[in-house]
Amino acid sequence: MPVAASAIYFLNLRGDVLINRTYRDDVGGNMVDAFRTHIMQTKELGNCPVRQIGGCSFVYMRISNVYIVTVVSSNANVACGFKFVVEAVALFKSYFGGAFDEDAIKNNFVLIYELLDEIMDFGYPQNLSPEILKLYITQEGVRSPFSSKPKDKPVPNATLQVTGAVGWRREGLSYKKNEVFLDIVESVNLLMSSKGNVLRCDVTGKVLMKCFLSGMPDLKLGLNDKIGLEKESEMKSRPAKSGKTIELDDVTFHQCVNLTRFNSEKTVSFVPPDGEFELMKYRITEGVNLPFRVLPTIKELGRTRMEVNVKVKSVFGAKMFALGVVVKIPVPKQTAKTNFQVTSGRAKYNPSIDCLVWKIRKFPGQTESTLSAEIELISTMGEKKSWTRPPIQMEFQVPMFTASGLRVRFLKVWEKSGYNTVEWVRYITKAGSYEIRC
Amino acid sequence: MPPPAASSRYPSPSQPSGKSEVTDLKSQLRQLAGSRAPGVDDSKRDLFKKVISYMTIGIDVSSVFGEMVMCSATSDIVLKKMCYLYVGNYAKGNPDLSLLTINFLQRDCKDEDPMIRGLALRSLCSLRVPNLVEYLLGPLGSGLKDNNSYVRTIAVTGVLKLYHISASTCIDAEFPATLKSLMLHDSDAQVVANCLAALQEIWSLEASHSEEACREKESLLSKPLIYYFLNRIKEFNEWAQCLILELAVKYVPSDSNDIFDIMNLLEDRLQHANGAVVLATVKVFLQLTLSMTDVHQQVYERIKSPLLTLVSSGSPEQSYAILSHLHLLVVRAPFIFASDYKHFYCQYNEPSYVKKLKLEMLTAIANESNTYEIVTELCEYAANVDIEIARESIRAVGKIALQQYDVNAIVDRLLQFLEMEKDYVTAETLVLVKDLLRKHPQWSHDCISVVGGISSKNIQEPKAKAALIWMLGEYAQDMSDAPYILENLIENWEEEHSAEVRLHLLTAAMKCFFKRAPETQKALGIALAAGIADFHQDVHDRALFYYRVLQYDVHVAERVVSPPQQAVSAFADTQSSEIKDRIFDEFNSLSVIYQKPSYIFTDKEHRGPFEFSDELGSTSITPEVSSDIVPAQQFEANDKDLLLSTDEKDDNKGLSSNNGSAYTAPYESSNISSQMQELAISGPAASATTTQSSFDFDDLLGLGLSTAPAPTPSPPLLKLNARAALDPRAFQQKWRQLPISLSQEYSVNPQGIAALTVPQSLIKHMQSHSIHCIASGGQSPNFKFFFFAQKEAEPLDYLTECIINSSSAKAQIKVKADEQSTSQAFATVFETALSKFGMP
Repeated sequence: MPVAASAIYFLNLRGDVLINRTYRDDVGGNMVDAFRTHIMQTKELGNCPVRQIGGCSFVYMRISNVYIVTVVSSNANVACGFKFVVEAVALFKSYFGGAFDEDAIKNNFVLIYELLDEIMDFGYPQNLSPEILKLYITQEGVRSPFSSKPKDKPVPNATLQVTGAVGWRREGLSYKKNEVFLDIVESVNLLMSSKGNVLRCDVTGKVLMKCFLSGMPDLKLGLNDKIGLEKESEMKSRPAKSGKTIELDDVTFHQCVNLTRFNSEKTVSFVPPDGEFELMKYRITEGVNLPFRVLPTIKELGRTRMEVNVKVKSVFGAKMFALGVVVKIPVPKQTAKTNFQVTSGRAKYNPSIDCLVWKIRKFPGQTESTLSAEIELISTMGEKKSWTRPPIQMEFQVPMFTASGLRVRFLKVWEKSGYNTVEWVRYITKAGSYEIRC
Repeated sequence: MPPPAASSRYPSPSQPSGKSEVTDLKSQLRQLAGSRAPGVDDSKRDLFKKVISYMTIGIDVSSVFGEMVMCSATSDIVLKKMCYLYVGNYAKGNPDLSLLTINFLQRDCKDEDPMIRGLALRSLCSLRVPNLVEYLLGPLGSGLKDNNSYVRTIAVTGVLKLYHISASTCIDAEFPATLKSLMLHDSDAQVVANCLAALQEIWSLEASHSEEACREKESLLSKPLIYYFLNRIKEFNEWAQCLILELAVKYVPSDSNDIFDIMNLLEDRLQHANGAVVLATVKVFLQLTLSMTDVHQQVYERIKSPLLTLVSSGSPEQSYAILSHLHLLVVRAPFIFASDYKHFYCQYNEPSYVKKLKLEMLTAIANESNTYEIVTELCEYAANVDIEIARESIRAVGKIALQQYDVNAIVDRLLQFLEMEKDYVTAETLVLVKDLLRKHPQWSHDCISVVGGISSKNIQEPKAKAALIWMLGEYAQDMSDAPYILENLIENWEEEHSAEVRLHLLTAAMKCFFKRAPETQKALGIALAAGIADFHQDVHDRALFYYRVLQYDVHVAERVVSPPQQAVSAFADTQSSEIKDRIFDEFNSLSVIYQKPSYIFTDKEHRGPFEFSDELGSTSITPEVSSDIVPAQQFEANDKDLLLSTDEKDDNKGLSSNNGSAYTAPYESSNISSQMQELAISGPAASATTTQSSFDFDDLLGLGLSTAPAPTPSPPLLKLNARAALDPRAFQQKWRQLPISLSQEYSVNPQGIAALTVPQSLIKHMQSHSIHCIASGGQSPNFKFFFFAQKEAEPLDYLTECIINSSSAKAQIKVKADEQSTSQAFATVFETALSKFGMP
């Protein structure tokens, strides 16, 4: 059985119950206490997200300042359990607009109970599609204005449409202006050795869409990925256009995508849900364009002084620029005094994370910036403890740039009424875990 | 929705308010109940919200049950929902009051709004009050026939809920048959999915006592049905897809075409955005192709990419779940990720549970082609801030060194660790160097020169100290300082808190003595004297034994304590392959996370002493075992495959393999009385005569010098110690060491067999006869118990394995005893006790 969760609890960091929903009788009443005494109040917390106490397994996740604990008594499917919680949280967020935290839960607890009732019955996950749930949920998130009249009853035959082949979209949607927004969001993960060798590098990308389209539109998306292009040229029996093609290691799609057609024709075609959704995810390990190179030199001069020199080079197009660049340069715990110069941006020493934090708001392409710092250390009396040198970490966002080089070639919308649509496409590359050892 | 100011701030759960608020609520609700004033619904909503917020934080608001029900006579759906929630929560505790709700719930089940019909039906089924089930039948029956799919979906789950409240009512109403026809004919995918879930649960629970249910359960796995589901799989939502895939795993394909058809059908599921669907599909592929070796290998290739994506996307918790599965796969097919090792490099900010699994992955996939890179990366982690991870990394390097043939480079790395001069790094490394030397003695030269340079004063951890001492003893001839370092350590005998280290000191002193007698003689003398005076039983026994054996013949002693070095070819696996296969069969479940087959942690009898009491949520210890046993040990002991085969970790084995014989075990007992000590000094095998004792000794050493004493015939009646105690570890050790002194078969009376449905009862029964259970397991008809008992006034143990077959009503027992001569007497006591089992 997929989950058959016996109960779900939401706890704050102190262990107070925020939400308590028991689905089945096979677990005792005071599972929360068990969780508190055996997990929260011990070192176990954060050591392992799945724990067994007595005959029950506790599968828990921390999301902002809330623990979501699923209790199961059978040999449940853990991957499914975690995924369910993640999806449920995304759903809650869509209701109360962004943040999912203790306050949001307290302000919306009746809504959450209502949702928990619909998305899981007797421990089995039901429908989590926001579009469909709108038909059953009476409460609104606190962000929206209060309406005293009961929410308009579902259109009498609305529930019937759910049964159709397109479970994620209602019929009869209508927009004055038909628009599609498509974002390609990539995050680059890098691990570089102190000698400048790339130890590990990959890109995980998402294609996010926002659709405001009338009726039941059919969409078709073309990318410059290798398989798709080859297939196309094969079908049209003419050589592929020159230009960069991208090899995707692995792709996963939203349930709306016709996977049979993807496998035979290698095109992404789908009837989109209304509003926002994640169309596809992909992973690339070959041919990644790193947006930044980091060249650190750290010299330990005796036991009380250090010299740090970090050079950051942007290697994307000169017309583009990166935003929100943050470079975190670790320094030893016993740092007493820091003294630094930067060629752009601002830097400061943050003792709570033992880092020099260097921020550059706007970083143009094909340029470089340097930070040089002198650090004085308190000489420690105890036995010499060499410093472990954690890696330098970097954060950034580069709009209109994809580290993989992926591009949208076309996005076609077809609907039987033949309306015109406006399509918007954006690209952005963010730092995932961008680490440079020094 | 921001409610009026008064209730916009809910009381913080940290300050549960007292009774007065509840009484307050009660009177306010009562006022509103009859009111028809405009806007009354809004005030009701606020009050209901308060009630529910109290309920959430654990304040008992069941006292307002009546008022809540009165207030719920409303057409406001928001109020209704809150009321349903309340009623569902408290009905079980207030069966009488619940009757009040039946009326309005039944009425709502006939409402014209399908949403209200559905909600009311769900609440009705969630009351969980056994004597109200008759009211459920009507609404459920019509719910299943409702023309709205939402209501049908709820009704289907309702049937399952009814089954759990009263199975017979559910079966008598023939609901399963209705569900079956719905499952085959309904147009709504969710209704079908819920039918499948409900039927699976109902039939597998019924199957144990109904042949028909058994057949029905089988029929779920029939080819037409499986294809019916698989062909429509795209119509189901992601969760229902998981359910169907899980069903498909159990399907036995008729031929290879069948297998390929299913795989083609499901191929695209590997691209699903939901990781749970992907993992479920992976399981289907793996299970289907088990018998087709080459296709199975291709499956590994195919699933690699999707699995790696799952690891790197999603929350750390999700990665953890996936990594556990990858680890299982990689143990079966180490090659699959060999070229993707970089995916398992740790990120600095990852939680340690993810890092640990990644380290295990790196260890498992290391082969000739990638060892260099992996070890280089692992060495980076040795300098990690997180000490636990640093230690794990060093252990990982060591494990790789032990599995590789070309260890040259790794040895250098390990020796470099010693130069880092961090206590924990040095400690871990020493343990590894010791293991490495046991497997690859040819490296001794390089290692010893470095190890010799380490000051023993800087090493505090017992394991590391023991490793160093072992090396000092083993390579005494190559380390010029060895006797003096040992002498130093021996002089500080009193300050050495770890018995393990003291044991190693004794052995090392002996070994050193055989190689460099003049330099060591004095130190050995001190060590033996200190050892014999030691309060720790093992240390005492070992010292005494060394002393005696030296007295007997020095050459014999050398052969026993320091035989020529034999390289260990492989370190034993901790898990049997049978267990691993079972875990593999349970792919995509908790078993993989826990690395235990599910019967160990879901069956009640296997859970061991760490049992929950529902009311208190606290732990209590069952009378089965004494309280000092930790649950982990109990699990180990319970698993019959492991009971006697799990070896203690390398160190203890190191001892036994080096010394050629197991010399400490038989006298290891956790509760020795002072009387025992005296006895032991006069002769370890206490009951035997002095002349016999030395022979017994030799026999244990396997020197073949003696004959076993014949068991004494017609023993007198044996008295057992009612308060005997033995810990599982000591039990295991003894069980391994002692020969079977008696093996018999008894028949068990029918009452006993009947009482055996609760195996705990036998354990209690035997305990009343001073025979204690240390581990139990098995399922009908075969039950297995391990008992122990102790002779009154003498610390002599009797260990018994008892296998009871409930269908043949036979019990097979095997007895092992410290004192062989009285084992027959014990067996008689055991049989008498067993024969009384089940008698009033």
